[in-house]
Amino acid sequence: MEYVVTIDNFDGPLDLLLHLIKKMDIDINEVSIEEITKQYLNYINTMKEMNLDIASEYLVMASELMEIKSISLLPKSHIEEDEYVEDPKETLIKRLIEYRKYKELVPSFQDLEDERKKEYTKSPSDLSEFKVVDEEIDLGDLSLDDLMNAFKDFLKRKELEKPLNTKITKREYSVKKRNNEIRDILKKKKKIEFEELFDIMSKDYIVVTFLSILDLARKQDLCIKQDDNFKKIYLSLRESD
Amino acid sequence: MNLTAVIEGILFLKGNEGISVEELKEILNVDEPTLVPYLDTLKKMYEEPNRGLKIDYLGGRLKLTTKKEHKEYYEKLTEEEISSTLSPAALEALVIIAYNQPITRIKVDEIRGVSSQHLVRKLLLKGLIKEVGKSDQPGRPNLYGTTSEFLDYFGLKTINDLPKIEEPESLDEETNLFESKYTETL
Repeated sequence: MEYVVTIDNFDGPLDLLLHLIKKMDIDINEVSIEEITKQYLNYINTMKEMNLDIASEYLVMASELMEIKSISLLPKSHIEEDEYVEDPKETLIKRLIEYRKYKELVPSFQDLEDERKKEYTKSPSDLSEFKVVDEEIDLGDLSLDDLMNAFKDFLKRKELEKPLNTKITKREYSVKKRNNEIRDILKKKKKIEFEELFDIMSKDYIVVTFLSILDLARKQDLCIKQDDNFKKIYLSLRESD
Repeated sequence: MNLTAVIEGILFLKGNEGISVEELKEILNVDEPTLVPYLDTLKKMYEEPNRGLKIDYLGGRLKLTTKKEHKEYYEKLTEEEISSTLSPAALEALVIIAYNQPITRIKVDEIRGVSSQHLVRKLLLKGLIKEVGKSDQPGRPNLYGTTSEFLDYFGLKTINDLPKIEEPESLDEETNLFESKYTETL
């Protein structure tokens, strides 16, 4: 029984055509379109009988071949004029020659591939542990202080993001007690920034402190000063006259 | 400082990534005429039969590799054959790209007469080809070209070392005429 090369052995219709031409043992330029079409269709039909899936490319090529064949059968008197029509058979042969050119290179690349595989290399060494951190970042006009301040601000923001302290231990703040504390602070420091008084981030403490400030102000003990909108607010003791 | 020894060390560390002559020049802070003798010395040293390594120029980069003749011993180091080769179809696509780069996938399809989509993807994944730009054609398809890894894979120094294509013997009469005329006028 003749050994049948199945369609899976081919890389597309051009490959199959080259195979058929080789089997016919003729020069590619001398191929008779009739013969090759016959062979090709035979092959496709055999594959169909074997229930092999035939990719659409092969069918496209079959129809192309049949078209070329039918054109070659027609009398070609009517295309004498200046319109140049490329002979579809020639086009196909050109394509085959072009394809064959690369196909024939494949074995030499396989040889090169095999040869190269006889030599081994190793992966590059991981040099990262020797890396000196010397990447200079262009700071422009920024100074180290700016960066430090930015970092401080960041930490502050981070701090505010934290969930409020939820210690349950009931520590009672009283406005009266806080009043005295604030007076003491102001006696010592004379002038103080409003925000400085809120040194504990608990709701009670903040509320009590705020109430104290209001209370002291009401009692005319406290002088509250702000130079402009959104500027810092300073607190000082009103000189008791 | 013995630069030959330094180069040897660099090549060892760089492994299959290799190093280009340009990079070496910069690291060693020498110009090419100064560098070449050091390289030659190192190369000669490795050519000695009692050395197990050699310097190869692959894909435009100097690399330290083992010698072919010792392959059988290295193979014993692995339990099984692990080296896989490219399929003929993939090679075909790769060869077409190598000789026609930059080239679109559609053009590869045209030459092969069959879709090369999965082959191109495979070759991209293997790093043997890469996108090198966009074609002006409608849809601006990607253009592909081969990489330094491609050259290394086939043991080629530069792209000029690709095997020459034997042009089919069928020279048109036109070309023949032209050539004969040309020789006459000379």
